[in-house]
Amino acid sequence: MADMNVMLDAVCLAARLMLESGSETYRAEETVEHMCKGFGIQKADVLALPTGLILTLSEKEGDAAHTRLIRVRSRNTNLSRMDACNAVSRQVARGQLTPEEALKKLQDIQHTPLPRFLWQVLFGALSAAFFCIMLGGMAEDFIVALLCGLLIHLVMPLLGRWHVPGMLGGLFTGFLTAQLALICNTLYPIHLEPAISGAVLPLLSGLATTNAIRDTIKGDLVSGSARISEAVLTAVFLAAGICIALSMWGGKY
Amino acid sequence: MHWSIQILSCAAAAFFCALLLNQPKKTMPLSSLIAGLGYGIFLLLGQSALGYFFATLFIGIACEVCARLTKKISTLFITSALIPLVPGVGLYRTMRYLVEGEYTMAASCGAETLMGICAIALGVTISSILFANFRRKEKPAA
Repeated sequence: MADMNVMLDAVCLAARLMLESGSETYRAEETVEHMCKGFGIQKADVLALPTGLILTLSEKEGDAAHTRLIRVRSRNTNLSRMDACNAVSRQVARGQLTPEEALKKLQDIQHTPLPRFLWQVLFGALSAAFFCIMLGGMAEDFIVALLCGLLIHLVMPLLGRWHVPGMLGGLFTGFLTAQLALICNTLYPIHLEPAISGAVLPLLSGLATTNAIRDTIKGDLVSGSARISEAVLTAVFLAAGICIALSMWGGKY
Repeated sequence: MHWSIQILSCAAAAFFCALLLNQPKKTMPLSSLIAGLGYGIFLLLGQSALGYFFATLFIGIACEVCARLTKKISTLFITSALIPLVPGVGLYRTMRYLVEGEYTMAASCGAETLMGICAIALGVTISSILFANFRRKEKPAA
């Protein structure tokens, strides 16, 4: 039997990476359980929440239990990372990796650089612009949505870097987006509805909602309601920001 | 706006969303195709709550099937494929009516948006339950 500490490290790191890259909590729990089976740990109890994870392992029934608590503070969506973690956990479950190898692989995943910031801004802006067309926007609305998208995806990560809480960041971003669209509207009349709602659509991520529902179905009521409140509050704060901007302009839109 | 342009731009938008969410490269064409088809169903069914439900049901099932075929997790597909269906316009309209003080319109528009969201939730739930049962049967063999 390999060193318990290394196994614990590997399992914890996998679960943390999964939760930080936006996976459902039941998936993080399953990852832990599969990895433990692969390592030959007979008794594993795990509770994953969107904001943290507790696990208790013992090699056999009656052996000394090892418990760890992990706090998950930053949550964003990084599907490639989730996929890579899942691949490692599958290999472990099939017994193809020793705990040391698994830990090494997971650390490599942890240190994979994030996508380039400027590319992310560009992709976000383009998706906003195409959403605008999808919602019935015209060529001029496309350009405004593109500008709004650029603004959103520039401002949101910067606010995150300055440790502004996510919800307040949403309020501020919604406000700036609506202001920009309204200013563009005075320069050249556009359709505000597709432009603004297209620009904020990628922010109203379906992921939080879908995960909330999936967690709730699986019976994880705590994570489910935590995620639902996250999704609702994100939408409400964003909406409030847009509301403030609209009311500043009175009826002139 | 012609429906084909809407569907194409939906697929393009979902593709860029996938890039934004750092989705694995191989899964991107599939998920944006699913998003486009799903939006097509939504348009076909008249952009109603029923449309939301069947479009999400289709997206959910298609994503689960793709996940089984590519041996990846379904979250990879469903995340970007579902974003176009989020009722952003309804939300925006509700807010605009609230700001303008037209509370009756705001209430009716808000209720409609809420119904859309519930329909989406139901669609995802049903497709997810269907496949959760399938997987349990496969497990002992694997």
